[in-house]
Amino acid sequence: MGFEIDTRPLWLLLLLRARRLMFFMALAAVFFYLLFMSAPAGLSVEGQRAIAIFIVCLVLWMSNMVPLAITSLFAIVLVPLLGVLSKKDTYAIFGNEAVFFILGAFMLAGAIMHSGLSNRIALNIMDRFGKSPRTLLLSIFLLAASLSFVMSEHAVAAMLFPIVFDISKGLGLKPGKSNYAKLLFFALAWGCVIGGIGTFLGGARVPLAIGILKESTGLSIDFLDYAIAVFPLVIVMLIVGYLLMSRFFPSEVTDVSSAHAVLGKRLKGLSKISYNEYAVGGVLVLTIFAWVFFGKLLGLATIALSSVVCLFVFQLVRWKDIEEYVNWGIILMYGGAIILGSALDKSGAAQWLVDSILVNWADRPWMVFATFSLLSIALTEAMSNAAVIAILLPVSIGMADRVGMSPVALTYSIAVPAGLAFMFPMSTPANAIAVSSNYITIKDMTKGGIIMCLTAWVVFNLLAAYYWPLIGMGYMK
Amino acid sequence: MAKDYIDNPAALKIDLMLRGLRIDDPLVKAWACGVDGIDIMLPHNTLVNIPCREEFTKGSPYTIRKKDGGYVIGGHSSEVAVSLVPKPKFYERKTSTGIPFAKIASVHGGVTSITPSPRCDFFNANVECKYCAGNLDVKGMDKTVYSVDDVVETVAAVLADGIRGIIYLSTGFSDEPDGGIVFLKPYLQAIKNKFHCLVAVETLPPKENRWIDETYALGADSVLYNLEIYDKELFELICPGRAASIGRKRYMSALEYAARIFPSGTVASHLIVGLEPPGSTIMGVDCLVNMGVVPILPIYRPGHGKALRIDPLTAEIILPVYKHLYKAVKKSNISLNWVKDLSMVTTPAEMRAIVDKTASNGSLIEGFYKSKIGRKAAWGLSSLMRKLRVKKSEEDE
Repeated sequence: MGFEIDTRPLWLLLLLRARRLMFFMALAAVFFYLLFMSAPAGLSVEGQRAIAIFIVCLVLWMSNMVPLAITSLFAIVLVPLLGVLSKKDTYAIFGNEAVFFILGAFMLAGAIMHSGLSNRIALNIMDRFGKSPRTLLLSIFLLAASLSFVMSEHAVAAMLFPIVFDISKGLGLKPGKSNYAKLLFFALAWGCVIGGIGTFLGGARVPLAIGILKESTGLSIDFLDYAIAVFPLVIVMLIVGYLLMSRFFPSEVTDVSSAHAVLGKRLKGLSKISYNEYAVGGVLVLTIFAWVFFGKLLGLATIALSSVVCLFVFQLVRWKDIEEYVNWGIILMYGGAIILGSALDKSGAAQWLVDSILVNWADRPWMVFATFSLLSIALTEAMSNAAVIAILLPVSIGMADRVGMSPVALTYSIAVPAGLAFMFPMSTPANAIAVSSNYITIKDMTKGGIIMCLTAWVVFNLLAAYYWPLIGMGYMK
Repeated sequence: MAKDYIDNPAALKIDLMLRGLRIDDPLVKAWACGVDGIDIMLPHNTLVNIPCREEFTKGSPYTIRKKDGGYVIGGHSSEVAVSLVPKPKFYERKTSTGIPFAKIASVHGGVTSITPSPRCDFFNANVECKYCAGNLDVKGMDKTVYSVDDVVETVAAVLADGIRGIIYLSTGFSDEPDGGIVFLKPYLQAIKNKFHCLVAVETLPPKENRWIDETYALGADSVLYNLEIYDKELFELICPGRAASIGRKRYMSALEYAARIFPSGTVASHLIVGLEPPGSTIMGVDCLVNMGVVPILPIYRPGHGKALRIDPLTAEIILPVYKHLYKAVKKSNISLNWVKDLSMVTTPAEMRAIVDKTASNGSLIEGFYKSKIGRKAAWGLSSLMRKLRVKKSEEDE
């Protein structure tokens, strides 16, 4: 531990220190103003309070003035305190499947890392693809995307995380400082996010959207139709994502051959694959198989936690081995975000936001499509994508009839952008997992994420306007 | 007959330190028994420690005697009322481990000096500073190290006696790269944790600047790296150990860096008057002041058999040095609130009376910092500054 002495003038240091206090005072002022201003027409008192909490949490999450998990605790405390939801409901929502899925994913990742399997896989990947920094980066990016076509992007992120982590460690990259490490973790997170929109299997949101569509209109979307409609977006975003990452974080690693030689040595130094590695690997393969084929039936969290239980039953891992790998802060953060999303939904605040904006801004089909997709992509940055769909889709289907638009097109306009969460760790577990590595900061993610989101939104709307008519799709019925 | 300076307390302090005091009064003799110098308060609250046992004091024109229930110091033709500074009560007491507090701490006006270990490796390697051996009574071979608890107990006794001011922690001299701050660290931290007092630290300049950062971060409110002699050749001749292991260049760079890290007026360095020509001392004053360092000019007291000092050395010769000191420090706007009220050495603030004979005790701010509330404010301000300025950082592997 060393010391740094700030020799700037005392008045400046006091001002800088007071900046934090002033920030919180200003935030408190905004919060109380939103809380006590006369409620706009159509917005319930609970909805107004939920919006006030939402704005405060959004600012805190973005500014990182307090740890993310503490902001979530703030939401968890305020939601019942202000009567937006009951205490019972609030804490019940915290026990959401997504939270337990993440918990299970962390524990599985911990088991893999502890067994040494991830190290072995990482060494092999690096040995095979690590000829240059660029090919290594691309391999991770494309691997994450293509795996997310067939299984939940959350699971892919959880599975690849320990491998990418070990690669970063193997290259001796410094957390928070190395651009190349940032590239690797962005490749992991954004690869999963982009791949996750490619098919139904990338996440729960598309099946949820189709379920709501079918329930309301009797219409549905085929697996192949969906893939054909969305795949060009995936390709464009993969290209844009790679170019953006390379531009924002120019790699300081120009040569991985020295690391490659070290890795080769290490690979030779590895003992024979152990029973534990086989067993943990076997559990992981079974888990992936179950996620792909029984995920909908059993639930991702149930499968993940069952696998964790198996690991303990067969004594493949001990609690103290796993404990250090579980990022409890991320779990708290995600739980709080789900509670906040739910509070916006159940209080009617989200509905009010959508109605207010739609009345003012959207009167033509392309504008309705653009507005819903913009809302979806914006809301998914701060709340669960499933919640975004639950909030927006019923309203949009209702709107479709009024403006003569196709409910299917509007379902796309919400379901696809709801998966394009690039900006914040609370947006999607893939981002949260990448940030939990400490190699990338929220600031890094926000900086590139804004451009990714805007690009995705523009490309998605252009596809809807010019590409979909070519494959027999359109805005109108 | 040499001139006396009875009328000017600042000049009188210098002349008394230079020529000493003859003690005829049996009561004062008893008072001064066993000490090398006696602390006396001159007019304008000018505190001085006057040599009274050394050989050279026998020729001093100054005597002290009782008059009208008080004391006066007399010169050739006139006299001035003074007061004897009472010995602190804690001098009579011992720590719980049986060590006399007086062995651990000594009070010199506004400063209580504590040297947890008087060990001097320069002395042990026969490269000690020539003025020091047999003069300042540093027992280099003595391996005594007072424990942190003993030192803390001593500081508690000092403060309980109502003695306020700065606790001055110093090391014996060792050739460690940290300059001695690692040795002082537990003492400094313990004092800072337990008491609300200002602490000055005297060590050798460390080899790397990070130790200076650490000195500040640990709680030192003031730091002294005593160059002692500005002239390069005399420095190498008189301080062979320091010259070889640290070097004059490092003294300068460490002082310059410390002046950037510590608040204004809290970094100081001794230049001993009388070991080099006055012109050289003046150049040293200018050099230090330009770096933001407060020069402190003690007067060399020749010990028995030591003839290091320049000759002749009279007040007439060295007063211009002190005048220059005051003017240089004032011109540079270095704060004078920290280095003050020292009996053993002469500080820039005391020299105001030489330059401006109508000057009183100093500015309102100086007066404020001498008050009880002012001392608390100084401690609070120093602590606040440290809290705002120090950041812990993970060192690169």
